[in-house]
Amino acid sequence: MGRLKRGHMIEAAIWLLIAAVFFGYSFEFNQPIEIYKFGATAWPRVVVVLLVVATLGNLYYSYLYGSSAQQGRMGISNEGPQTDFSDPGTLTKMLAVLFTPFIFAWLLKPVGIYFAAPFFIAAIMWLFGERRIKAILIMTAVIYVIFLGLFLVILNAPLPQGNTSPFYDYSAWILKMNTQLQNLW
Amino acid sequence: MIENFLAGSSALFGDPVTIAIFVFGVIGGMLFGAIPGVSMLTLAAILLPFTAGLTPAQGVMLFAVIYCTGTYGGAITAILFNIPGAPENAPTAFDGYPMTQQGKSGKAVGAAVLCSAIGGVSSALIMMAATEPLAQWAIRNIGPPEIFALVFFGLAVASSVGARTIWKGWMSVLIGLLIATIGQDPVGGINRYNFGVGDLAAGIAFVPAILGFFAVSEIFVQAERKAGGTYKAPKVSMSFPTFLELWMHKFAVLRSILVGFFCGILPGIGATLAAFMGYGEAVRWSKDKESFGKGNLEGVISSETANNAATGAAMIPLLALGLPGGALTAMMVAVFQMHDLQPGPLVFYTSPDLIWVVFAAMFYANLSILIIGLVETKTILNLLKIPFQFLAPLILMLATIGAYISRGLVLDVMVMFIAGILGYLLRRSGFSIPGIVLGLILGQIGEQNFAQGMQMVHYDLGTYFSRPICAILIAAGAVTLFANIYRAFAPAAQPR
Repeated sequence: MGRLKRGHMIEAAIWLLIAAVFFGYSFEFNQPIEIYKFGATAWPRVVVVLLVVATLGNLYYSYLYGSSAQQGRMGISNEGPQTDFSDPGTLTKMLAVLFTPFIFAWLLKPVGIYFAAPFFIAAIMWLFGERRIKAILIMTAVIYVIFLGLFLVILNAPLPQGNTSPFYDYSAWILKMNTQLQNLW
Repeated sequence: MIENFLAGSSALFGDPVTIAIFVFGVIGGMLFGAIPGVSMLTLAAILLPFTAGLTPAQGVMLFAVIYCTGTYGGAITAILFNIPGAPENAPTAFDGYPMTQQGKSGKAVGAAVLCSAIGGVSSALIMMAATEPLAQWAIRNIGPPEIFALVFFGLAVASSVGARTIWKGWMSVLIGLLIATIGQDPVGGINRYNFGVGDLAAGIAFVPAILGFFAVSEIFVQAERKAGGTYKAPKVSMSFPTFLELWMHKFAVLRSILVGFFCGILPGIGATLAAFMGYGEAVRWSKDKESFGKGNLEGVISSETANNAATGAAMIPLLALGLPGGALTAMMVAVFQMHDLQPGPLVFYTSPDLIWVVFAAMFYANLSILIIGLVETKTILNLLKIPFQFLAPLILMLATIGAYISRGLVLDVMVMFIAGILGYLLRRSGFSIPGIVLGLILGQIGEQNFAQGMQMVHYDLGTYFSRPICAILIAAGAVTLFANIYRAFAPAAQPR
């Protein structure tokens, strides 16, 4: 087993599985192209094969040296002590940080950004450890005003307004206010 | 040339509306480049429809100015927050962010200001003097095989920095290349890997992926540190680099100007590869290779000089051949088309006024980086004083808008957050985020040029080696690759 740990094998298995899925799926679009004899599949398949080679090379490196960084490597993205997630509280907090943005993104279509944004901003502050309600309220208002001022008033950027009532009505009211504001000058 | 430059300058500064657009472009580019979560591309995407109401010269000039100042602005967030404003600023973060952690943010930002200005001004001057002859040289000597060879070399360089091992470096690049295969294939337009999602037929857009991998993943990394109690607020410093410190790196500046200009001139390659190559060459020529990635000022200098040197050069294939060098120059093509113009050799004869207004504006925009940059640096450094729990939601909000705005798809916001989680997990495992992004950007360019090249040489791969530039680039890429593999398993390469 050398210095291989279960984590190294799981990591390699994930990449090999991804490579297998991409290779397998390439048969779905395996059509000839009249002007190019290698077709649409050659390039992705070469990339997949090289990914398998690199994964195996990485596994062999882990077998020899474990998780240690190779000598002379530069600009490693995330060096330093890593957080221990054995504490369920820490893990829950981290999972909440990872998935809150997804809930926000999922809400953009039905609810719209104008209504969802303040709740999202406040939630992220809370998850980042801010517990002073007054600070959360003030900073949420500040960020919301910056967002509206820059993207709605100054740049008139088209943003998701939602498609369900009463959220859509709220977005429509914000846009109406903006139009009235623009008409002032 | 001087007469034309003066004519361009007087056209630029002789009309109050044009001056206002120039100033807006300079400040807007710097601001959007320097705000974490959005980038010059966000601003450009928002402004694109409005350019229909401007004259062609004003529209193209506005985008050219945003390109120059936005490329510099992205260095600020790379240095202060480890969030590159654009992919071309990614290598800047390798040494810039460690400098911030060491309390040397002022030195790093000061060097970025000066070197961006030097790189940009030099590039603008070469562009003015040599656009036509360089374009003719490029037409004669640079074809799809050479561009493919440069992509290969660039990816080999990218794989050698940023990841924990050479294998993870290559895996990072290959992950990027694999993501780039999603969408239509560049030769036959056949849908690949859309997994039944209709919107994926158009592929993974760069902007959301880049925002996710850089900005959102960094937020998650900081969240992890907060959750685990290991978060350290960055130290603010206002000390700029001394003249002597910068003078010591004069050769790095000169080398990066050449590297940046060469990369910028090649169609489709742009400033991103220039920055990686500039950084890679700085490491290659340095006597103290080990200090790179730990806060070496030369890392910031090389990357920032090279990416701004590429901005002027990127205008050459755009104006002379009609080929954009990156996302922003591609938007400039749209500005031309909105005004029934087509960039290409004829534009020098049909619209010389436009060309020289743009050249003059780029020259002055790069000078503005030096003047406004030094003044605004102290203000920008104060961003570090904002507690991260307030900065994080602002960055996420801006990133959400940045991801949504270019195509108006909620799917792009989803893609951004998926890229954020993926980036966070891969960073924890020692993969290189800049490597993934470069693979993503160069994937389609590489495939398209490989396919065109193979058609050109009738599928005889050996012909690639009979073309001198192509052979040299492939050999350089292969040497970089095998030297790294040798180092990975050589007895002296004990892990640290």
